[in-house]
Amino acid sequence: MKYILLMSGTKAGVARYHAWAPKDIEANMGRLRAMAKKLTDSGEFLGTQGLADPGEAKVVRGEKNGVPVTDGIFPESKEFLLGYWIVDVATPERALAIAAMISTMPGPGGVPTNMPIEVRAFAF
Amino acid sequence: MKYILMMNTMKAGHGVPQWNQKDLQAHIAFMIGLNKELRQSGEFVSAEGLSFPDQAKLVRAGKDGAPITDGVFPESKEFLAGYWIVDVDSPERAYTIAAKASAAPGPGGVPLNMPIEVRPIMSGPPPEML
Repeated sequence: MKYILLMSGTKAGVARYHAWAPKDIEANMGRLRAMAKKLTDSGEFLGTQGLADPGEAKVVRGEKNGVPVTDGIFPESKEFLLGYWIVDVATPERALAIAAMISTMPGPGGVPTNMPIEVRAFAF
Repeated sequence: MKYILMMNTMKAGHGVPQWNQKDLQAHIAFMIGLNKELRQSGEFVSAEGLSFPDQAKLVRAGKDGAPITDGVFPESKEFLAGYWIVDVDSPERAYTIAAKASAAPGPGGVPLNMPIEVRPIMSGPPPEML
């Protein structure tokens, strides 16, 4: 069964991340790379992507003639998707365990971020 | 350049599950058609629909690394209903595809004109992070 694990945060949270010491960012990225490798080895890894800064996000609607109407203004409280992992696992519990692994990724000073990770099953 | 187009419109207990069969079929046929068009133009990378929000879980690691799960979300939360990843030549093309998805038919065949969030995907971590 396939799951997507979603990591989200606000613009303020992203600004705080950009202020991390390079060493802390490196430790964080290193952990995520190791995890992707582990999931590849276990055959559960389908993909991961980081999204570009929320400042580049646009919201689009179609006008009656199909012309896109774009807007870049979002509420301050909006949680933007920062990145995701797609995994193919044997049980829902395994998806939750992988999400918990992601949640323990190190933050400033190596302290686990304990970020909330949203776990969603694919519909089909 | 790769973009993700996100349908964030689903609120818990609302939306698609309440539609009648005919409206649902028209909506799904539109989505299948859109994916086919993107495959033909070579811009399709992937597309997925997500299960309904009542199955969503929020997970944090406890002190011992064991998952702590919660299914309670704020009333205002918008859930991801589905997404497309496209590989296009320009941001404008990504917006045009998003506008098409936005006009997917809803109840009675009326275009939903739902908002689609369009975000560039990073091709890899910035060099300073490697």
